[in-house]
Amino acid sequence: MLKHQLQLAWYYFQQEYSQPHQKLLRWVQAILMIFIVTLTLSSNTIQHYLQGNLQNLLGADAVLTQKNKLTTKQLTLLENFSDKVVNTSQINTTLTFNGKWQSAKLKAVGNDYPLQGQLLTSTSLQSPAIVTNGGPLAGNIWLDSRLLASLTLSIGDVIKLGEQTFIVSKVLIHEPDRLMEGHNVAMRALVNKSDMKKLAFPADLIQHRYLISASKSQVQQLIDWQQEQLPAAHINHKLGAHPLALFWQRTENFLGLASIILFFMAAIAIEQIAQVHLKKEQYFSAICMSLGASKATGLQLSLFKWLINIVVLIPVVALLSGVFHWLVVSWLSETFAEITWQLELWLTAKTIATSVLLFAVFHSPVWLTLCQTSVSKLFHQNHKSMSLGLVKLCALLVLVLVAVNYSDNGLLTLMLVSSILITIILIVAISWVVLTLGEKTTQQFSGLVPFTFFMMKQRLLSKSTQILGIGLSTFLLLFTLMFLKDLGNTMGAYQRTHDGNVMVSQASQVEMNAIKKWSKEYDINLRQAKPYVYAKVVKINNQALNKFTTKPSDSLATLSHSIRLHWTQDIPKTNSLVQGTWWKKDAEKWQQISLEEEVMTDLGLDLGDTLTFIINQQSYTFTITASHVYKPGSGSIIFWVQMPQTAIQHINAPHYNMASLELNDDQWPLLGQLWQKHPTIRMVSLQELTKQFDAILAMVTKVISGFAVMIILLAIIVILSSINALEGKEKKKNSVIMSFGFLKKTCLQLNIIEWLITALIIAIGAIAGTYITGMLIYQSQFSLPYQPDFLILFITLTIILSTVTLLGIYASRHSLKSSVKQLMADN
Amino acid sequence: MPCSIELKSVSQSFENISSASIASKVNASTITLFENLDLSIHQGQSYAITGPSGAGKSSLLMLLSGLEKPTSGQGTYLNDKQINDNHSSSLDNLRSEIGFIFQQFHLLPELTALHNIALPLKLRGDKQAIKKAKHWLEKVGLSDRANHKPSQLSGGEQQRVAIARALVFSPKFIFADEPTGNLDQHNANEIADILFACCKENNAGLIIVTHSSDLASKAQNIYCLANGELTKTSSTNSVNKQQDEEKQVASC
Repeated sequence: MLKHQLQLAWYYFQQEYSQPHQKLLRWVQAILMIFIVTLTLSSNTIQHYLQGNLQNLLGADAVLTQKNKLTTKQLTLLENFSDKVVNTSQINTTLTFNGKWQSAKLKAVGNDYPLQGQLLTSTSLQSPAIVTNGGPLAGNIWLDSRLLASLTLSIGDVIKLGEQTFIVSKVLIHEPDRLMEGHNVAMRALVNKSDMKKLAFPADLIQHRYLISASKSQVQQLIDWQQEQLPAAHINHKLGAHPLALFWQRTENFLGLASIILFFMAAIAIEQIAQVHLKKEQYFSAICMSLGASKATGLQLSLFKWLINIVVLIPVVALLSGVFHWLVVSWLSETFAEITWQLELWLTAKTIATSVLLFAVFHSPVWLTLCQTSVSKLFHQNHKSMSLGLVKLCALLVLVLVAVNYSDNGLLTLMLVSSILITIILIVAISWVVLTLGEKTTQQFSGLVPFTFFMMKQRLLSKSTQILGIGLSTFLLLFTLMFLKDLGNTMGAYQRTHDGNVMVSQASQVEMNAIKKWSKEYDINLRQAKPYVYAKVVKINNQALNKFTTKPSDSLATLSHSIRLHWTQDIPKTNSLVQGTWWKKDAEKWQQISLEEEVMTDLGLDLGDTLTFIINQQSYTFTITASHVYKPGSGSIIFWVQMPQTAIQHINAPHYNMASLELNDDQWPLLGQLWQKHPTIRMVSLQELTKQFDAILAMVTKVISGFAVMIILLAIIVILSSINALEGKEKKKNSVIMSFGFLKKTCLQLNIIEWLITALIIAIGAIAGTYITGMLIYQSQFSLPYQPDFLILFITLTIILSTVTLLGIYASRHSLKSSVKQLMADN
Repeated sequence: MPCSIELKSVSQSFENISSASIASKVNASTITLFENLDLSIHQGQSYAITGPSGAGKSSLLMLLSGLEKPTSGQGTYLNDKQINDNHSSSLDNLRSEIGFIFQQFHLLPELTALHNIALPLKLRGDKQAIKKAKHWLEKVGLSDRANHKPSQLSGGEQQRVAIARALVFSPKFIFADEPTGNLDQHNANEIADILFACCKENNAGLIIVTHSSDLASKAQNIYCLANGELTKTSSTNSVNKQQDEEKQVASC
């Protein structure tokens, strides 16, 4: 029996294979599955790579990192948990040579380095790498090849760092304890431990790293000890995740959210196609029942047909996803060294199965209708049922749940979903207003335009489904493209709007005084200077940070490292208050803070919650009394956490400063002078910033362009599906019009006017939706001021109008192939 | 003088291509529906074309309405102005002067009865469309169903709306293909009476294709199309029928 039904389903599948609604359905399913499978395979490859990367590059079983050197007692305790401990220290500094400068990570090691793995060096840029035991001798410095090239140094040259001179004696090829290989782009330099002492850098700027050889149980003991005794320290270990894994998970979540947009569009397309499916399947099932078949037979045939359709697609999807996966891996190999492509059959199968389940949810209204069908349906056409609406609502709920699950940024997801809902309401309202006003105002005139308004108003329900489908797709497409364009523009405009062309991100009090003196001496414009202390959040509401929340987010990623805690009496010009009350002048209650709104949302914090910070080895607990957001126009130095000015009297910690400087072309060479005297000032020139931005922009452009292509493809399918869904009705309408004595030309004219009105509604809806989304999301999520360009909007409007109209007219050409004879043939 | 449609020596045939012959591109046979057929239709008169299925009745209707071209022969249309000039034109010029009524009614499902009737007037830019549609709705006895959609109307009511829609823009000729084919005897009689009466009142020529001898017998001219030949059947009741129709007009 089953075999017989499968044969029958196969037969009908072949019969329907080339029908437009089946073709469209296959396109939607294939595009979405290829995207999802490629994304999953690529993510998995990166996760595996990072795991392998961790094992190879940790250079120890565990690494304990902290700002201060361990006390003798702490070191003794640490040695209890390990077989061997090797101490290294490192600092961010700037090396100068012949008027050139380059920031680099300077690491000091002893003769016991490395603990595990191989230290590779060479005697010249062209020589092969050799395994080296122990670091450089005192007075020697080893530089990596990029640093050598950037400062145009050669082996044997002498460079000056602070008051010390160093001989460049080797090229540094590889250090085994470098976790960030391939990801951290900082240039590297290696010196002897004893030289670090001689350089006399401020103690609080040096990062002390303890490479530990330990068993699994010892590592666990070590972690427990660190959490209890050294909460501000950081541990990386082989049992844990790669520091980049969290970053990648967030990237993945962002892509996941993007794929949700694709799912939404696919759902719209499938919903439109399902209208045709529903009628055909219901009719077919009723005919079968009238011939004595059971209701279950019709349902089974429909299920089998749907399954065959999916099964036929799977080899194509698997093959193309494999090819795209290979392409993505090749592209990523520029960033992730030695990443390799592998065939992942099981994962491919699992992902396809999940997608198929989602498709089944979208398609379920068709099957539910078949459950309710009866022979009487042949006599009474289409009774809409409540349960069908319920199923569609369930499908929407599934989509929202998937969106929430994928996203790491609750606020962004909420905003995006809200924007979609607002756009839906907007498009419905605009449709009603435009058609009602259009009909009313044109009533007094004769011609085809008033007639089209009249017809569209009369068919508001069926027409608005079409408008909504295309409108939402256009909105998503427009938003993606606008975002790409605005992001590019903002980055391009950075040079013009940024206050200052040199940004000081860290300068100690002594260094800041030197900067002030130096800028005054050379008449350099020092625009802003704001003080801060380094603070690390260890507890929220008395609960350890890693226990408080495990959901990755931008905020959590940042808070897991030391942050800059700023003190100020008044609300800075760069901020505005969004909730709570700002502290009064000379506030006696000094343990209060204002937190950036996005951090509050990401971590689910409220006013009155407490944050415990470790500041210079001391613990301080603050209560959140206010929340602030970035206010553009008054500079770019902003802080996530701010406390009253009175607080600083109670905190014993080194002060640092952020500042911005404006240098003219002649003053650039003077920077080398400053850096040579104060190599630990962290400064970045706009040139370097824009270089980083360009690199990010290139990556963002590639990702968004690929994404936009997917959306354009799906948008075209949505338009075709919506036309396909109404084709029968349109054909009949055209035939009826011709039976009133009109020519095909009139039908074509009506069609053009109708598509122009449709496109107008869609364009207004999509642009308004994009505008609202821009206002909602740009500022809060990407710190971009949203200033819509009306010329661009007008051009966009024209492009949408003409594209939708042309595509609509082209796709509805079949409905113009109607005739009065066809109406007679329906008899 | 009323307007008229003339078919002179028209023949209609088509290629019968079966799926097997599509593959082989041979064996395509020509099927001739009728040859050298002459027929004159005058405004204000009613005509019934009967005959067995497949005889070509609907094709003849399409030729008369100018929507299809004959394989050979000529169709001409003589309107009021041309009558004085004694000069006829092609049937293409007939397009704006004709209306259709179908067996399946073909009302637009999204529109109410009133708006379905107003449709051809709206298309012509008639500002009085709704007023005239209301008047016609009254004529066909459905003024209380103005705001009902087709799915809320019975078959008979839908066909009344279709009749009103076909006549509302005062066409000179109405072509009806099995207008009562979907209705029971009682409804069929009622619809037929309304159709004939309304055409008469509007001085529209009515051409009906039907299998129903009852319906055909109401026409002033009855033709039978069979075996490629069109023969006029004399209607003994035609005079009585005409009197009946005149009575009906008074009530229409």
